[in-house]
Amino acid sequence: MTKSAVFAAVITLALGAHSASAQNPATANPAQVRVRYMVQDVPSSVAFYTEKLGFKLDMQSGRAFAAVSRGGIQLLLSPTKGPGGASQPMPNGQRPAAGGWNRLVLYTADLQGDVEKLRKQGVRFRNDIVVGLGGNEILIDDPSGNAVELFQPTLVVGQTR
Amino acid sequence: MSDPFDIVNLRYMVDDVQACVDWYVAHFGFKVVLASPAFGAVERGRLRLLLSGKMSSAGRPMPDGRQPEPGGWNRFQYVVDDIASEVERLRGRGLTFRNDVVSGPGGSQILVEDPSGNVVEVFQPSAAAFGGAAAQPAKAGV
Repeated sequence: MTKSAVFAAVITLALGAHSASAQNPATANPAQVRVRYMVQDVPSSVAFYTEKLGFKLDMQSGRAFAAVSRGGIQLLLSPTKGPGGASQPMPNGQRPAAGGWNRLVLYTADLQGDVEKLRKQGVRFRNDIVVGLGGNEILIDDPSGNAVELFQPTLVVGQTR
Repeated sequence: MSDPFDIVNLRYMVDDVQACVDWYVAHFGFKVVLASPAFGAVERGRLRLLLSGKMSSAGRPMPDGRQPEPGGWNRFQYVVDDIASEVERLRGRGLTFRNDVVSGPGGSQILVEDPSGNVVEVFQPSAAAFGGAAAQPAKAGV
């Protein structure tokens, strides 16, 4: 597989579908990209990512931590307060918080259709579909106010490499 | 199209696209996919980091006027075998850390700030998280 071929691929966002890959859910997969989101409440975050965005639950430690995955992504959900390392305050007292603008980008071949489907499910959006140079995008707010971007590319950017 | 999840895209908002492209390349082994004044993309393994400046479409304000900005706490993990030597390497380069090494059940981590104040989590998994977690999944994780 070439990276440019992958880059050119328009990835279907199979809402509600799970990756078929069989792996031990409790063993970290080095091939996965691990991204951590700070959340206000782990159980409701797990419900959101598994029920609305097609992630599967890899592991959960009560309200202290959970890991969900979708294809090459393992999303770590850490509460802003809790026993885990990521939940600890900084040396200057600053506490980790949910929110911000940095986010996972989930590709879709039908942005409009996915947005309509998710709106019907009560999912909150931070904006409306934005038409950009490389594609169209919209920001979902998860229950903690973290952003997840749905993106439908219109350009084959990978050919510039 | 083989595995549609071969590449994972993560978008970071940045103040200075070129400075951030250079930083990720210099310190964390990313390769440049593209770099323009408004937008850059760098890649390492399966992670493609999209670096979006104010002039990019992702930098536009929300309908309620809120302006996207760098920072926050959400981040990717840069997984290492030896966090102590990694921290030493990065400190030697004068990088900014947000905290000191913190250990949890799943491993040890520390937060590095990029030139725009976004974080990278340098993470060393604990032996238990990789080797023994299958038996006790409830105790795995950080």
